[in-house]
Amino acid sequence: MLSKDAYRELEDALGKENVSQEPGVLDGYAWQPALNLGKDAWIPRPEAVVLPQTTEEVQAIVRICNKHKVKFKAFSTGWAAWGGPGGPGVVQIDLRRMNRIIAIDERNMFAVVEPYVIGSQLQAEAIKRGLNCHIIGAGPNTSILANVTSGWGYGWTGLYTSYSGRNPLGVEWVLPDGEILMLGSPGSGAGWFTGDGPGPSLRGIMRGWGGAQGGLGVFTKCAVKLYSWPGGPMEPKIQGTLTDIKAEVPETHKIYFLFSPSYERYADLAYKIGNAEIGYVHCKGSVGAMFGLLAPRAMKKLLASPAVRSIAKAFQHYTLFMLAAHTKREFNYQEKVLKKIVQECDSIIFDTSHLPFHAAFWWGVHRSIFPALAFRPGGDFLTSMGSNEAYDCAVLNAVEGEKIKREFIDKGVFIEDMADCSWGGIYEGTSCWGHLEEIAMFDRRTQAPEGRFAYLDAATEATLKKSLGFGLSALGNDMYKVFGPRMHNFHHWQAKVKKAFDPSNAADATFYIPPIDELDS
Amino acid sequence: MTLKDLQRDMAGCSRCSNCKWVPHNQIKSWRFANVCPSIDHYNFHAYSGSGRMIIGNSILEGRSALTDMVSQIIYRCQLCGACQVSCQTYRDDIDLADVLLALRSTCVEDGFVIPEHLEMIESMKREDNTMHMLKAERGKWAEGLDIPDINAERVEVLFHAGCRFSYDEDLKEILRDWIRLLADAGLKMGIAGKDEACCGGRAYEIGYQGEMKNYAEDMGSRVKASGAHILVTPCSDCYYTFKYLYPKNGLDLPVKILHTTELADILLKEGRFKPKKTLRLKVTYHDPCHLGRRGEVYKAGWTGTNKLDRPVRFKQTGKFGVFDPPRDILRAIPGIELIEMERIREYSWCCGAGGGVLEAEPEFATWTAADRIEEAKSTGAEALVTACPWCERIFKDTTKESGDTLKVFDVLELLNRSLGGR
Repeated sequence: MLSKDAYRELEDALGKENVSQEPGVLDGYAWQPALNLGKDAWIPRPEAVVLPQTTEEVQAIVRICNKHKVKFKAFSTGWAAWGGPGGPGVVQIDLRRMNRIIAIDERNMFAVVEPYVIGSQLQAEAIKRGLNCHIIGAGPNTSILANVTSGWGYGWTGLYTSYSGRNPLGVEWVLPDGEILMLGSPGSGAGWFTGDGPGPSLRGIMRGWGGAQGGLGVFTKCAVKLYSWPGGPMEPKIQGTLTDIKAEVPETHKIYFLFSPSYERYADLAYKIGNAEIGYVHCKGSVGAMFGLLAPRAMKKLLASPAVRSIAKAFQHYTLFMLAAHTKREFNYQEKVLKKIVQECDSIIFDTSHLPFHAAFWWGVHRSIFPALAFRPGGDFLTSMGSNEAYDCAVLNAVEGEKIKREFIDKGVFIEDMADCSWGGIYEGTSCWGHLEEIAMFDRRTQAPEGRFAYLDAATEATLKKSLGFGLSALGNDMYKVFGPRMHNFHHWQAKVKKAFDPSNAADATFYIPPIDELDS
Repeated sequence: MTLKDLQRDMAGCSRCSNCKWVPHNQIKSWRFANVCPSIDHYNFHAYSGSGRMIIGNSILEGRSALTDMVSQIIYRCQLCGACQVSCQTYRDDIDLADVLLALRSTCVEDGFVIPEHLEMIESMKREDNTMHMLKAERGKWAEGLDIPDINAERVEVLFHAGCRFSYDEDLKEILRDWIRLLADAGLKMGIAGKDEACCGGRAYEIGYQGEMKNYAEDMGSRVKASGAHILVTPCSDCYYTFKYLYPKNGLDLPVKILHTTELADILLKEGRFKPKKTLRLKVTYHDPCHLGRRGEVYKAGWTGTNKLDRPVRFKQTGKFGVFDPPRDILRAIPGIELIEMERIREYSWCCGAGGGVLEAEPEFATWTAADRIEEAKSTGAEALVTACPWCERIFKDTTKESGDTLKVFDVLELLNRSLGGR
């Protein structure tokens, strides 16, 4: 319970207009259907919500919470349940007023951003300078800072731009006691260009693999890597908003569908692409998802036909692949290599550049917009499996995920999508590793939650039994209890970190880890 | 449509916050990426389209109550419809704009009324206009013009001036010029003069939904009596009311409805208007919400309950509003250079005046207009052109207040000048 004194101190620190306890306002922070493993879309209502604009204001909030023994939880755009309170007695810090791109360093290829800068904003500014950023698959509506400091995500361009955890550089971190810690080069006043020395190199502690989901304080500024935008600076002239898009696609950018006859050959293709170090986008396609996202009503009708399903199944193992080269000569080389690889893998190359939707695909993939359409079939979706592993293992995740999901589709838990809706690709221009996560679409309003929980349990069990690695299935509440003992007791180390950085346990760590004394008890 | 009718829509909100942004594929900069004035100004999630749906859901579920504060949140919104466009870019099963309207009618039913809105309703009841002006003076703008009175003779085209144009001294000359132009083009057009009344759309928008019915019936009677087969209005709010709100409420008018820019565009393309005079001016065009995305015809015909099954053609996507006619007019004027802003067409930023905000929250309205003016100036344009008297009024007032040199025009003003008018 937040005392009147504490509330008044928050008002004094931020101004009355930036603090609220109005129940209707607070419920705006308590409705979190996405990636919510509870039965209800509602999560615990925060005690108050606050809107800081500066790092100093964040420090003030954290100190007031410590003083009055109230927990706090910060989020950026606030999408998904793990951004909100995990229980009662939490002050929600909404960082939307911290929304500036502080700098784009073209020469050293990085940007410094505040928490509320989203993917599409940074990308729009970066492309003008011949650069690009990593946008996670969840979409361009997500915070660049939150992705790299606090969560896990992989984007369409991950072949070129890797995944979220590989993108942070210098970080400004308001610790759970209100002190500031500058990670990496800003820690020694040397600018933002690296997350390691000179200065404290604590990326592993800050976020580890999956991020602390706000359980270790508040990140108020960070630098992120920028990558080359092949073709140089441009301001794309885009007409339309989604599938109606018309645009002039640079002549060195092109999207292909690569159809393979089996998962094995699909994986071979990925390895060869990685080894050849070509391409800008490599993602597994899904026939079911393609229907579901672009024509959900047609999907219902088409997939009711065994003949159509059988034909669609034949095209199931396909790769969505984009070449984006800096010169025409480089493009020609990469395309030549691609064609050779496709042939070696008994696959078929389908050049989409002459089709009407090429521009829509090209721009939509760059901007990572298509995942937002996963809401179309049912209004909701979840994800599972998805271990970061050698790509053969990632493919096994997809194979097992498909088998399990099929059962649950048949039980009416999920919407029919041919069960092949696994998404992901290879990372960082190499086929050494990658991931494939299993997306499942449903209508929360009509499909009961118990089935979804049973599916997630089954997915976790399969991950363990088949040694499929450590992935998204490990990110659920309390999943450390299952995975920790099998993974060098990582949860104990996390809990020690939590205790060391947050002895008062002020930062709500429901979606991270309890302090070690609580864990042991 | 009540809040209860829309519970499934509200329960479908995933809180992705896409309703706060221009559809992402169209975000061209950091600065002009936002699309919802309300959340941009007030910041708490409750001020977004999503936040208002959550409030609706919370009230229906009995988690929270309608309070003065919540009612204020509901009314601090121009009903510009941008949130719906962005939401429906990715979703098929949420009619966000309907939720916003239902929240307002709930406020009125429960007695949470805004004093300034109540005054507007009283003005409408007493004088048939939203402007607190005398009904007897409604037709004064046309004094001295040779234009038929539909009370006396039948016409091909009925011209409905709307409240703002009828009474705004600064703007009425635009109408007078327009009438002269149409007469020169040989169009037999009539007006109702002092018998013209408000369309009732503003009452509907501020939550007094029942009030609109009388105005719609009144309008229908005038249309029938006039013999007109075309109804033309220069007001985008009236246009939206005729094209969307009336049919949505089963009050269709038996007549073809055109905005003045649509009619002018037709006459241009038929060669009946021939702009000759060169106007050397760099301009940018502001899409009025109620002519653009909200001006899309009401898509009747689907009667199901699960909107996941609703064919896409029944979605109010906002893409089929009036966007090209005003632009085509500007392009037809010699010397005009049209430079587009970043937020245009169905993802345009609002002028700030709509939804009862100008009357109840003038500071918020002006703040919204100022943001648009900044965007217009960022294009290098010398003038901001629009096609709605409410937009024009607030842009003129805001530039005047800030001492800005950006000129503000109605499309028809520029067309008239090029055709040899003032």
